[in-house]
Amino acid sequence: MAIRDDFEVAASQVRTAVQRFSLGLLVIAAFGAMLVGKADSVLVEHARVLALDLASPVLEAIARPVAAANRTIADLKEFASLREENARLREENVRLLAWQTAARRLENENERMRGLANFREGPEASFITARIVGDSVSAYVRGALLNVGRKAGVASGQAVVTGEGLAGRIAEVGENSARVLFVTDVNSRLPVLIERTRERAILAGDNSPQLRLTLLQSVAGVQRGDRIVTSGHGGSFPVGIPIGEVVETGEGSSVRVRPFADFSRLEFVRVVDYGVSGLVGGGSSSAPAAPPAGVRIR
Amino acid sequence: MRADGLLAMLDRWGRNALPGAALLFFVLLTLAPLRAPYLSGALPLLPALVVFQFSLATPERLPGPLLLVMGILLDLLLGGPGAPVGVSALGFVLIRAAVVNNRRYLVGVPFLFQWSGFCLLALGFVVLIWLFTALWTWTAIDPRPAIMQYAVVIALYPLLAPLLARVRARDPLNVPDESRGTARPGETTS
Repeated sequence: MAIRDDFEVAASQVRTAVQRFSLGLLVIAAFGAMLVGKADSVLVEHARVLALDLASPVLEAIARPVAAANRTIADLKEFASLREENARLREENVRLLAWQTAARRLENENERMRGLANFREGPEASFITARIVGDSVSAYVRGALLNVGRKAGVASGQAVVTGEGLAGRIAEVGENSARVLFVTDVNSRLPVLIERTRERAILAGDNSPQLRLTLLQSVAGVQRGDRIVTSGHGGSFPVGIPIGEVVETGEGSSVRVRPFADFSRLEFVRVVDYGVSGLVGGGSSSAPAAPPAGVRIR
Repeated sequence: MRADGLLAMLDRWGRNALPGAALLFFVLLTLAPLRAPYLSGALPLLPALVVFQFSLATPERLPGPLLLVMGILLDLLLGGPGAPVGVSALGFVLIRAAVVNNRRYLVGVPFLFQWSGFCLLALGFVVLIWLFTALWTWTAIDPRPAIMQYAVVIALYPLLAPLLARVRARDPLNVPDESRGTARPGETTS
């Protein structure tokens, strides 16, 4: 009897102790999760992919009616602003004509390059069309979830394009889902070319709608309206996918670029399977990976 | 002691599961492509609103470990590469603790008090996440989107809170007096 009472007293003491320190324990657990995430990024990656795979069917179920509703609202809005829409389209037409010129120029240049000896065409690119089933847009991330994954041939590091231009790259891949990191994300760094001058640069996102052009050899050569395209350095991206145009050239090295892709109304995107395993492995920006020798030669 | 019928059991289960289910729903909704320019930016803060609102009324149905799991799930789903996993969990747990320890200032007081309480706690939550994300990735993150998020979720609170208060399961003891009827114990109708 006495033993049982003692046991009960001890048990209740333990219970009150746990209750008293439960907040502390939970806080410690949260910190523990953060530390584990920092120390073992592979584990976290697996957990992320698992969570994505579990959530993506639910999200897809949500995404369809939401997309339909959004389309209806957009239709109504367009109806209300037909005149402005017309003006916008005319303006866009002008812009597209400029694009056409650019395309011709690129084509010519390509022609010339093929004429050179030793030029070898890059691998053929194929496309995987995907629906965007989830936004991962917050104050800290710019990205989206796709409904295709490893089963469809998606791999980490592949380019994601829209009709207008480059949207981002694949950061994480699950069996039936993948996460895109938009070019505007703070972790996005892209090797690019300035189309007019063929100068190399790095295009970095900073979570704002515009991109920052850095590591230029000479900033002076950049003008407003210059188009920025992918350079293909690093191997995972095809050469010459348009990304954006320069909208602001300040003093120092602050060159701002407006991306062509309209991230607020993306519904379908294409994943470019370029046939080259990129050097972008886990998608972390912390360690600048050395380019593998095989890619450099190309 | 009332009889434990199947319906009563289901009812009790449902009531116990409701806050967690609502939280899970809002965690998943965070990722839904809503395309509403300001609203979709503020979605990541809505789970915090749910945690606050349910901690006011039924904190025992939103136990700390569940908040931990939900917060980690939110971070896994939302976070880009390099973002800390578990910072939302930390924020949720702290919100719950803050609400539970300050119940007398937050429960049964005019709505404005609850709102200002939420303003304070949400500010703490946003600052915490911003700080940790900035430290973790060691970059100066532009605080403006976070401030924007905060403003939107503050503005949303008066709209969502009454709704959640309705969704919130009512205990029989919580039934307002007017809907209890006037029958006294032992009295039968007509």
